Amino acid sequence: MGKKFIKFEFLLLFAVFIIATCGLVYELVAGTLASYLLGDSVKQFSFIIGVYLFSMGIGSFFSKFFNKNLLNTFVEIEILVGLIGGLSSVILFLLFESVGSFQLILYLLVFVTGFLVGLEIPLLMNILKDKVEFKDLVSNVFTFDYIGALLASILFPLILVPKLGIMGTSLFFGMINISIAIVLCFLLKSELKRSYFLKVKAIFSFLLLLTVFIFSENILSYSEGKLYGENIIYTHSTPYQRIVLTHNKSDYRLYLNNNLQFSSADEYRYHEALVHPVMSIAKNVSHVLVLGGGDGLAVREILKYKNVKTVTLVDLDQGMTKLFETNKVLTDLNGNSLNNPKVTVINTDAYIWAKSCKVKFDVAIIDFPDPSNYSLGKLYSLNFYQTVQRILQPDAAVVIQTTSPYFAPKSFWCINKTVMAVFPQVDAYHAYVPSFGEWGFTIAINGFNTTFNTVNRQASGLKFYNYQFDRYNYFTKDMISNEIEINRLDNQILVRYFDEEW
Amino acid sequence: MKNGENYNSSRRSFVKGIAASLLLVPFLQFCTDKIAVLMIRLSGTKHLLGHRLWIKDFPEITSHIQTSYLIVGGGISGLSAARQLTKKGISDFILVELEDHLGGNSSNGENQYSKYPLGAHYLPLPNFQDKELLHFLEEEKIILGYDTKGLPVFDELQLTFAPDERLFYKNSWQEGVVPKEGNTAAEDAELKTFFKQMDFYRSAKGEDGKYLFDIPLALSSADEITRALDQITMKEWFERNNFKSEPLFNYIDYCCKDDFGLGIEYVSAWAGIHYFAGRKQDSSSDKKDSVLTWPEGNARLATHLKKYTKDKVLKNHLVFDLKIENNKVIAKTFDDHKKRTVAIIADKVIMATPQFVNQYIIKDRKEFTKEFHYTPWLLATLVVSDLADNFSFPLSWDNIIYGSKGLGYVYDQHQSVSQLQTKKVITYYYSFSGPDLKKTRKEIYKKKTEYWKQMVFDDLKMAHPDIESVTEEMNVFVLGHGMISPVPGFIFGEAKKQASKNIEKLIYFAHTDLSGISIFEEAFHHGINIVNQILDDTTLDS
Repeated sequence: MGKKFIKFEFLLLFAVFIIATCGLVYELVAGTLASYLLGDSVKQFSFIIGVYLFSMGIGSFFSKFFNKNLLNTFVEIEILVGLIGGLSSVILFLLFESVGSFQLILYLLVFVTGFLVGLEIPLLMNILKDKVEFKDLVSNVFTFDYIGALLASILFPLILVPKLGIMGTSLFFGMINISIAIVLCFLLKSELKRSYFLKVKAIFSFLLLLTVFIFSENILSYSEGKLYGENIIYTHSTPYQRIVLTHNKSDYRLYLNNNLQFSSADEYRYHEALVHPVMSIAKNVSHVLVLGGGDGLAVREILKYKNVKTVTLVDLDQGMTKLFETNKVLTDLNGNSLNNPKVTVINTDAYIWAKSCKVKFDVAIIDFPDPSNYSLGKLYSLNFYQTVQRILQPDAAVVIQTTSPYFAPKSFWCINKTVMAVFPQVDAYHAYVPSFGEWGFTIAINGFNTTFNTVNRQASGLKFYNYQFDRYNYFTKDMISNEIEINRLDNQILVRYFDEEW
Repeated sequence: MKNGENYNSSRRSFVKGIAASLLLVPFLQFCTDKIAVLMIRLSGTKHLLGHRLWIKDFPEITSHIQTSYLIVGGGISGLSAARQLTKKGISDFILVELEDHLGGNSSNGENQYSKYPLGAHYLPLPNFQDKELLHFLEEEKIILGYDTKGLPVFDELQLTFAPDERLFYKNSWQEGVVPKEGNTAAEDAELKTFFKQMDFYRSAKGEDGKYLFDIPLALSSADEITRALDQITMKEWFERNNFKSEPLFNYIDYCCKDDFGLGIEYVSAWAGIHYFAGRKQDSSSDKKDSVLTWPEGNARLATHLKKYTKDKVLKNHLVFDLKIENNKVIAKTFDDHKKRTVAIIADKVIMATPQFVNQYIIKDRKEFTKEFHYTPWLLATLVVSDLADNFSFPLSWDNIIYGSKGLGYVYDQHQSVSQLQTKKVITYYYSFSGPDLKKTRKEIYKKKTEYWKQMVFDDLKMAHPDIESVTEEMNVFVLGHGMISPVPGFIFGEAKKQASKNIEKLIYFAHTDLSGISIFEEAFHHGINIVNQILDDTTLDS
């Protein structure tokens, strides 16, 4: 009797240990996921820990209403915790995009898990109270409880998340949780009532989690796909950005760090508007410089002019230019422009490169990402435009992607005003690109021997631009902003405007 | 009932099992991580050679050099004197420096990713009245011209890039140095009152028509009422003005340590207020409290000045004895490379060396030198693979951790125009403020590298919990006599006056410690003024 009982107590204490480990893992998963999806990690973690502990307290309170079949209840709860905790991260991942009240579901799941874990300890103590001396019981239960917590909190950041990912971790621990229930079912079948029924439930739950675990990779890409709302055909992370290419009917879309770069359906509008005004206004177009624009779509437009001798493209990200030099879908899109013998691709920091550049260009096309942080903001500063001016021929023309004058008028006119402080002639224009909305550009001439309305040359076969510049440089009232400061490295005012506006 | 022993042993082995698996965790981690070895180095000024001045066990003189002017010390004041001599058409001079490089507190180090400061690292925009300094900045293309209002246009690349400052306060980074978000209304009100008071002091003038607080310090008013401020500590001033709030106290404490090495409890109130009121913020219309900075710190300014000393410098040379003979000065100088002693015979000598050194070189100076106190400093430059924090405000040039023991850190690559840095280089500053600086200094020299490493990590951990695991390299630089400390009574005291007096119009003194505060502007003007004074004295005599 003695031996058998030890086994019984030991088993249940082991169960406590596993419950504690799993419980804390679910809590950490919820916290990590919440800070991952919602940001503000301090707040998320603190709220989740609070709610979890609180719901454990509620669970403990309600445990007193369970009086019959305690062992059965215990095993059932074990299965339930495994199922809910294990699936919690999957549920949260899938619901994030489609549910408005994501936080409500998040805290509901945390609450339910906490509640069930809170039920278990008092339940267990009730089961054991007649068999073990109270002093030993309390000390043993809590010891194992806390050891489990320690183990979970150490394993979670060091091993579990790096190896299994967040979703994998919660599913894995859900399975451990349920396997304990299965083991209990088999070993304590004499003590359990209707153990057969419990066994079936436990094994079924286990298999469910196992299936989800095996397919968790697919779920992850499904949820990313939902984020984009299109089929993802290519993803690639470079040291600088995450490139995602999607395909939907005949439309290809490229996202950099989740920001749409172009849609193949209407990118011609953007790139024609970007390239052809400067190309027709500039005195010469022999040597063209492109800063940014690693997709080669602007280069495709530039190469439509036969008197272009060289195109120098400077883009930081080799991963990006390589992709557009090699991927069949993409080289079809950019007309294989980056492999054209006239084109030289340089993968380096444009600012640093421009500072040390010794040659001069006839046209410069500047197509950088929007100034959404202080690093990118430098590429829109007074000093940067002065640096660019130093590598331009007299009467060279420059165009700068200047974000949307409709969504971000302050940012738009800030860039325009900054360029005005450097170049003798400056204007602004805009075009409608359906996938972007109203989009704008700043254009400048490094001299007075040509004007914005001059058309020195034309390319044939354009679908959008008609070489009538004065049709594009009118701005309605809602796209104008006054009282704007010049963007300098030492104030980076543009990043502040942009942050206000987007 | 139960078989206790059996039970216990099984439990013990179970716990053991857990313990064993816990022990394995770091090893597993070790296998997955790339092996990162922390490179750590400890260096400092050549205090060991300097300490030989106590015993003077130098060899006999073996050669002689003649010169019109001898400048001793290659810090900013010495370099500035060399520039002024050159401007006055004098080229017959020699500058002697103990270290293997010029610059003094405006020196720098460099690793494969960035230059970094080994001392002073910025220059606030100069006062508009300070024409000498404006002129120098214009010469060196730091000022590019003057705008329509007549105000200088500073080079965009040399002004601190935005964002310039952030403070880790109440668990998140906020913009600026002054604690803002999370204060109580009373705390905000005190800060406001304080800054109002500082605005008053900034523009206030004494009965003699001079600013109460000016730069160079010597131009400040002789007003007795304000000079009384030099008799109390900044903390006493704080209390007398009924200030109570902790954020204000901490902020002032930080500012005092940042500029003088000494905290609010030990620094003279006059100096403390001078920090806020000395700079008139009148040479720029929009960037009033901006500063000029470079990856290598003020070593950039030292480099600009160095060109005036070309072919006129003796590095690794220590002047250990100065005597006047037949209206000339004989400087016994030890050449640390060739291990021999040279006698430099000069018509005039400019001592651009601190007084704690001068007392061993020239007789009868020990008495007043006792009043000169110097705060030790520690700088640690870290190469980090990543500098993640809670992203509440982006990495700035100056990053201060509220309530930390140190003075935060400077991001050395902040003035780079490039998009990304593969590794980040930051320089952490620490000043050893306290009541007994001599004792502190002795303790510092006893400490080992490991101790400093831990101190730096522990302090930075408040804002960057993972700093230890992301640091790949650490260069600790200790300065025993970091900077002169304006303790109460020193700035307007007798010792400073005594130490500033020339000796028989042959030996002149120009070090920044004669100002009582250690800032670039003081050193720069000391160099200019001493040359002007020597030339005046010479004309009057002849």
